Amino acid sequence: LVIYTPDAQGTRYSPPGKPELTRCRSPEKETFTCWWKPGSDGGLPTTHALYYRKENSDTIYECSDYHTAGENSCFFNKNDTSIWVNYNITVVASNALGSTFSDPVDIDVVYIVKPNPPEKVTVTVMELKEWPFLRVSWEPPHKADTRSGWITLIYELRVKLEGDDEWEMHLAGQQKLFNIFSLRSGGTYHVQVRCKPDHGFWSEWSSTSHIEIPDYLHREKSMWIL
Amino acid sequence: AKLLYMVVSSSAVPVTDLLDRASQRSDKLHALSTSLSQELNSHLPLIGRVITPRPSMCHTAALQTPTDKTQTLQLSEANLLSLARSLLQAWMDPLVDISTSANSLPHPARNIISNQVQELQEHSKSLEDGLDILSRKMGPVAQTISFLPYLRGNDISQDRISSLINLQFLMSCFRRDSHKIDSFLKVLRCRAAKLQPQMC
Repeated sequence: LVIYTPDAQGTRYSPPGKPELTRCRSPEKETFTCWWKPGSDGGLPTTHALYYRKENSDTIYECSDYHTAGENSCFFNKNDTSIWVNYNITVVASNALGSTFSDPVDIDVVYIVKPNPPEKVTVTVMELKEWPFLRVSWEPPHKADTRSGWITLIYELRVKLEGDDEWEMHLAGQQKLFNIFSLRSGGTYHVQVRCKPDHGFWSEWSSTSHIEIPDYLHREKSMWIL
Repeated sequence: AKLLYMVVSSSAVPVTDLLDRASQRSDKLHALSTSLSQELNSHLPLIGRVITPRPSMCHTAALQTPTDKTQTLQLSEANLLSLARSLLQAWMDPLVDISTSANSLPHPARNIISNQVQELQEHSKSLEDGLDILSRKMGPVAQTISFLPYLRGNDISQDRISSLINLQFLMSCFRRDSHKIDSFLKVLRCRAAKLQPQMC
């Protein structure tokens, strides 16, 4: 038998605790999402709503999509997203005893751009004068419209030999192809790529691509013996 | 004669290269305005943040510009260039004022701020020259400039806090406009580079 009591010391209900807007992010300068952290629920069923007002307008809108980006979030689709306009955003927590407002946050979507990681990262072993190098190529995240120039991405790679602690970093600029000549020995190499828009934040690293390099040093010697 | 030679020789540069250079300039211009805004913000007293004028009061707010990707990409090349030039032109006088008030700022970081403002002015000027050359290649629509009147604040009568707030406000306006300019030029760059899609 389970008896549910919200507070063993004698139930004390209260209005909800203060929610906090924790983060807003746009992956491609066309849509964005804001997340919040709820405060305490005051022992009662509590709902959260996100309201926003755009600069130059007195109209207050409520979020139209609480589902797409998961729990405690609001997704702003293309129609709801303007740039070069400040959004004043507030989250309101409500239960039977009252409502509590978060501190408002002002954002302009152009300054919260953090793209998804690059996609289709491929690594191949190439050879130059019988010595191996890695050719890494990738594509921009498919959501980012780089072709029209709406978003401009630069890329960074990192590579390490399995078992090593340190990554070796390489800045690729706007290129989507990079050759790594600094291989030290045979073994399995790990490669990751990330991207950054012209005025935004680095993406997360792409998932690791693995590639095995035969031990050329030995092979070359044996070839000489042959 | 030397000036004429420079103009003639730069007209020989392909549009793609001019746009590439211009967008590198505009990228840097925006980066400079961001670091300058942050520098000012970090020294602005808290009350200033509350009473700083709203961005709708920027003198360039009168210019109709796109507010999303669809609207931006619908504009013709000539219109994009015209918007970028109108915005840049609208800042030539205010930048002189910004420079004057930065030089007389009773502020711990005055030298840093003054130097950054000077760099900003130089970049704006050279970008403006570059866009002039481009607009002549792109025809009459690209050469159209909307004039956005700027009312000079009487800086002399202002106290320390007001002049700081005004400077910070102007920089926040410029920061947004330089982002617009940069975005328009980068879209233009990609359209011009159609034959070399690896650029975008």
